[in-house]
Amino acid sequence: MRNTFKLIPFLLLFTGCQKFLDVQPELQVDESQAITNASTAEAAVNGLYNRLGSDGYYGSNYPSLSYLSGGDIQWTGSQSAPQEITSRKLTADNGYVGSAWQAIYRTILQANYLLETVPALTDPQLTADRKAQIQGEAYALRALSYFDLVRGWGGVQLILKPTYTPSDNTGITRSSVDDTYAQVLKDLTAAEPLLGTTTNRNKVTRKTVWALRSRYHLYRQEWEQAETYASKLIDDATNYKLAKPYNAFFANNAAATSESIFEIAYTNSFKNGHYNWWLPPALSGRREWAPNANLVTLLNNPNVGGNRKELIAQTAPPGNLWYGKLYYRTPLGTDPAYVIRIAELYLIRAEARAQLGKTTTALADLNAVRDRAGVPLAQASTKDALLLAIEAERQVEFPFETDRWFNLVRTGRVAAVLGITDANKYVLPIPNSEILADKALTQNKGY
Amino acid sequence: MQKLLFAGVIWLLSYGGLLAQSTASHVSGTIRTNTGEPLPGANVVLKNQTKGATTDAEGHFTLEARAGDEVVISAIGYQTTPVKIGSTSTLTVTLQESASQLSEVVVVGYGTQDRKNLVGSVSQVNAEEIKNRPVASFDQQLQGRAAGVQVAANTGVPGDGIFFRIRGTTSINASNDPLYVVDGVFVNNLSLQKITTQGQSNNPLADINPADIESISILKDAEATAIYGARAANGVVLITTKRGSYNSKTKVTLNASVGQAWAPKLWDLVTGPEHATIINEAWVNDGKPAATRPFRPVSEGGRGLPEEQPTYDRLSDIFRTGALQNYDVAVSGGTKQTRFYLGGGYTSQQATLRTNDFSRASFKLNLDQDITDKIRIGTSNIFSQSNRTNARVGDGPQGGILQAALHTPTYLPKFNTDGTYAKWAGFDNLDVLINNTDMHSTSTRYIGNIYGEYDILSNLKFRSSWSIDYNDYNEYEYWNTLTNRGSASKGLATSSVSKNTIWINEQTLSYRQTFGSLHTVGVLAGNTFQGNVSTQTLAQGTNFPSDAFKQIASASVTTSSSNRNQYNLASFFGRIDYNFARKYFFEASLRADASSKFAQGHRWGYFPSAGVAWQLKQENFLRDATFLSDLKIRASVGWTGNQNGIDNYASRGLWGGGNNYQDNPGTVPVQLANPELKWETTRQTNVGLNVGLFNNRIGLEINAYSKYTYDLLLQVPLAQSSGFASIYRNDGEISNRGLEFAINSLNFNKSGFQWNTSFNIASNVNRIERLSIPVDASYATERMAEGQPFHAFFVYKQLYVDPKTGDAVYEDVNKDGQITVADKQFYGSALPKLFGGLNNTFSYKGFDLSVFFNFSSGNKVFNNNRFFHESGGTRDDRRAINKNQLNRWQKEGDITDVPRVMTIGNNYNLSPTSRFVEDGSFIRLNSVVFGYTIPKAILSKVGISSARVYYNGSNLWLVSKYQGPDPEVNVTGNPTTQGYDLGTPPQPRTAQFGLNLTL
Repeated sequence: MRNTFKLIPFLLLFTGCQKFLDVQPELQVDESQAITNASTAEAAVNGLYNRLGSDGYYGSNYPSLSYLSGGDIQWTGSQSAPQEITSRKLTADNGYVGSAWQAIYRTILQANYLLETVPALTDPQLTADRKAQIQGEAYALRALSYFDLVRGWGGVQLILKPTYTPSDNTGITRSSVDDTYAQVLKDLTAAEPLLGTTTNRNKVTRKTVWALRSRYHLYRQEWEQAETYASKLIDDATNYKLAKPYNAFFANNAAATSESIFEIAYTNSFKNGHYNWWLPPALSGRREWAPNANLVTLLNNPNVGGNRKELIAQTAPPGNLWYGKLYYRTPLGTDPAYVIRIAELYLIRAEARAQLGKTTTALADLNAVRDRAGVPLAQASTKDALLLAIEAERQVEFPFETDRWFNLVRTGRVAAVLGITDANKYVLPIPNSEILADKALTQNKGY
Repeated sequence: MQKLLFAGVIWLLSYGGLLAQSTASHVSGTIRTNTGEPLPGANVVLKNQTKGATTDAEGHFTLEARAGDEVVISAIGYQTTPVKIGSTSTLTVTLQESASQLSEVVVVGYGTQDRKNLVGSVSQVNAEEIKNRPVASFDQQLQGRAAGVQVAANTGVPGDGIFFRIRGTTSINASNDPLYVVDGVFVNNLSLQKITTQGQSNNPLADINPADIESISILKDAEATAIYGARAANGVVLITTKRGSYNSKTKVTLNASVGQAWAPKLWDLVTGPEHATIINEAWVNDGKPAATRPFRPVSEGGRGLPEEQPTYDRLSDIFRTGALQNYDVAVSGGTKQTRFYLGGGYTSQQATLRTNDFSRASFKLNLDQDITDKIRIGTSNIFSQSNRTNARVGDGPQGGILQAALHTPTYLPKFNTDGTYAKWAGFDNLDVLINNTDMHSTSTRYIGNIYGEYDILSNLKFRSSWSIDYNDYNEYEYWNTLTNRGSASKGLATSSVSKNTIWINEQTLSYRQTFGSLHTVGVLAGNTFQGNVSTQTLAQGTNFPSDAFKQIASASVTTSSSNRNQYNLASFFGRIDYNFARKYFFEASLRADASSKFAQGHRWGYFPSAGVAWQLKQENFLRDATFLSDLKIRASVGWTGNQNGIDNYASRGLWGGGNNYQDNPGTVPVQLANPELKWETTRQTNVGLNVGLFNNRIGLEINAYSKYTYDLLLQVPLAQSSGFASIYRNDGEISNRGLEFAINSLNFNKSGFQWNTSFNIASNVNRIERLSIPVDASYATERMAEGQPFHAFFVYKQLYVDPKTGDAVYEDVNKDGQITVADKQFYGSALPKLFGGLNNTFSYKGFDLSVFFNFSSGNKVFNNNRFFHESGGTRDDRRAINKNQLNRWQKEGDITDVPRVMTIGNNYNLSPTSRFVEDGSFIRLNSVVFGYTIPKAILSKVGISSARVYYNGSNLWLVSKYQGPDPEVNVTGNPTTQGYDLGTPPQPRTAQFGLNLTL
């Protein structure tokens, strides 16, 4: 019955209507015009870094999952999500966990798009070298994304092709932890030869890949390789050295200093969300969280924190509230986000060497970091003492970066240090909304 | 029935023209009121034709008609009266004042209809009755006035958004608002606001001055709405503005009122010492040593003992008595060929919450001109400017003026030791906000149309019109260096200019003819083209030389953006109606709409409807039942559509820009394509009954309806591993079933004393019948899921507080021994089970009194203020504590639902919980008006034809179990969330005095 009504629109008017009803978007473009030549490919590469630095990923949520979980940061705000994380009572509908998950997979989608479309481009403006570089950047950042997923959630679904329709990339089950790490290594290996050996602290180069490999091997307890790759950067002393004093890598609007191997750059047209959570109201933030009393004591201790006390400050009396000021600059949100610094490679190499029994050189690497912080040099001589000293050093060296929690999980020290004995809680919950949306996805135990 | 219809069509084709050509003669007459005075402005129209005349100042009219014709005489406030023209060519008719609205003329889609002959379900509200409540817009004034129409204000700030639902909620991601039509113009009711006020948004309907409105017709069932097809799924609100009368003396009316608004009830917060006691208690309950409790002597490194803590009352600083004023002047009149209405109005309403106010200046011109006796042209125009002074009211600490007052712990001082402004817990200093909030907006609105009508034949009329709804929304905010937003950036300013233009071209051809004395046929056919273009320009500046510089031109760091988007609609529609002897009524309509929002092949939607009615009173067997003046049963079925509210390019795969890196342009994929996307469709069936008793002194209307919406336009969540959050898809089905009951009665009418009652009540049962995946609302405390009603709260259910331990016990739904997300459950909905209104009006010798209540029952509210205020010490120095927290469990045997305070465990760390889902049922004394009309004898000496003085109070009494000040709240303008209370001010209580004058 209702089909007969379809005859009614008057046929004469129909052709005129067609044109009237074809309205093109102006703010956004159709996907067919997205990556077609050199300039659109470059725009999509910028989009990739933008995804990496978005609020959900390095722009605040992902690092916060690590430092809020690590026992040194207290929740001082009103939101329930950070409250859950700091009190380690995470539920599967925690908003921060969901945002980070989403942002990382968006980064992966962007990388997959580039890997699929760029090789096929025929624009003479796009040189073979640049094509290779773009693919190298995409492989490396996909590797970083899967590395961040696996250390957060355990083995995840490996999505290696772009999504063009809702049925693409469905029905994929979670890979094991080992298989996920294998994909990280595969992508890093693929990226390496495609990239140049230039020094660029805001974009991925072959050196960035080395640094990420060093960290990868540390997490895989492949000590020789961790040491080898760390040395590649440390030995490049003209380009990478510990900025001295500690705050030289961030204070007074410093950016892309020789301390940095890879930091995400922010400008007025792309902002870092971190300041809002750390700074007190008087400095335009909301101080949703802050260093706790223990961390304040450690940082202010001249034998522990040394000049790393520059990371924190206090509000006016009678408040006298401590706050973190790694992310502080104006215009607001233009602080870099630190993905990997040379100090971390020193500590990776120190740990690798300690594991390999090279205690003297291990101690030297550790003390390089301590010396820069202006604290007395360590004297540890046994492997165990060294490992504990390195753990303690990381605590005060990277308190507001993506380290503490993942580091303790990696070394199996969560129970001893934080008193969390339920091993199910050493990984983050898969966002509950994902479990609902994806039949192939399974929840981590205990959530 | 079908045979009759067939016969009707044959007659139409063969004889229609001839009948109209029959010879005619002049008939003239006088229309008087029942007091014998001549009645100017009454319409005298040939039955079932458009031809007619209007009485002049002496009540005279002249009309071409034949003996045996029937004329229908109608005038506002009087019973519509049919009269047969006999052999004499002079008539004298006395019109009776109408006892109830049953005899009125009702505005329906593309025409008018006697209420007696209505087939569809339509509520009509006389604007005069509702204008007394001092709110910014007519939609809020409709609260409680029409059965099945649910109206709730989001905040107590005048001009803010309104929750408006006709017969329930039909859609998740497309719009749930009705189609608003002002004098034939489809007007925009979606906010253009871009500068955030933390979730709230302005109501664009506040641009229309309620004083210019004559009547509001609410089309509810498919029979009434389907002629508006694609946009009618949520009902249609037809607004008719005031027009002059032909042949009438020029009339000047004045209305002025002034008054005050204040907050009747605020929140109960604890004192400083009580706050400190709770925090210390939580410390000890956490198992930490009492020696290091936070509130210990300063000498021991603490914050001072509890009893040493001061108490600061910030709420009294932020609420005030607001001033209200309203002035309207109108001039109207007409000659034989011309009628006009000219109006001007100014209203100004201060919110009870500081720094918020609303004002509007408006201008109105309606004009109709006969060029020949066959050709008519006319125009309707509304021009207005609404100015708002805004503040951040709602969610989010930064700049949030109510949150800073409501949520800053009461013991914390306003100033630092060094005398600078103290700022706590992410909030601004309240004094700073009160004195430095600088947010304002100006909405410039033009709604107008021009039309031409040509009577091709006496019973065939062609009409063409062009209409425009133009809205320019201009906003500015400036945050100086004292405010949190502006402190680090050395001043921050945002300027936004949004423009929205709707243009409409419409043609209709209408035909009406009575064949013989029994068959009446009407036919309507038409088409509409509509375009909607919106543009936006936004600029932001930071780093100003000093607080004295406020415009972005002086800022050293600036960013800007612009945007434009558009959609078009093309429509064709037709309707046929037929009645036999005014006993049997049949109507059918069809509208075909095409929207540019969908891909080719899915653009056209077809929306048919049909309805029947049977006027039993016209039957012989009821002719002698004199007590019965009206008895009609009705039934209808129809399909209507929805595409409003979804993105203009929802069906396309899109990449977006602005995702930059190092100031180089970046692009990312933002939306997956769905070329199969099509119209959301609602099927509605309705059965109704109208009863009029004792010469319509009692009028009763009952409707039962069932709405079923399918192919829901839904942003279906996708697995994020795809890189996309969601895709627009036709997924899901929602049903709304309801009963509406309305009664109007003239209870008493003797010796000059009159008492009228009108009462309406409706129930609506909403259910999401099918949804492939649960969807969280914008505030995830509410979830949409199969089998649940809309706006259902999804929480952990607190069973009780264990009298032994003082710990909250939550229901372990899956019995796995732990509380995880799997234990959340549905716990009531923000939608009411019953709602309506009761109005009583009394008049005696110039005195008039009206008392109006509205009510809502069964709706839940999530009291998120309480969630913050009762957080058991977890929020320590970051959030104020309320008095209810003092009812916490303290010792074994305490029976309470407030668990012992502590910062660990599930007592206060689990959220959201059922403890904060409260009953939001209420009865409100919505308004009381008491007036006195000064006797004519006194007035005539000073040349005034009528004068009335009045008192008007609104929101005078509220009965509710809700713990917050007012259950009628919502934190956000986002339509997926309702009944979520966070940082919104309560409805004001107001008192006004006013004067109406007619010269």
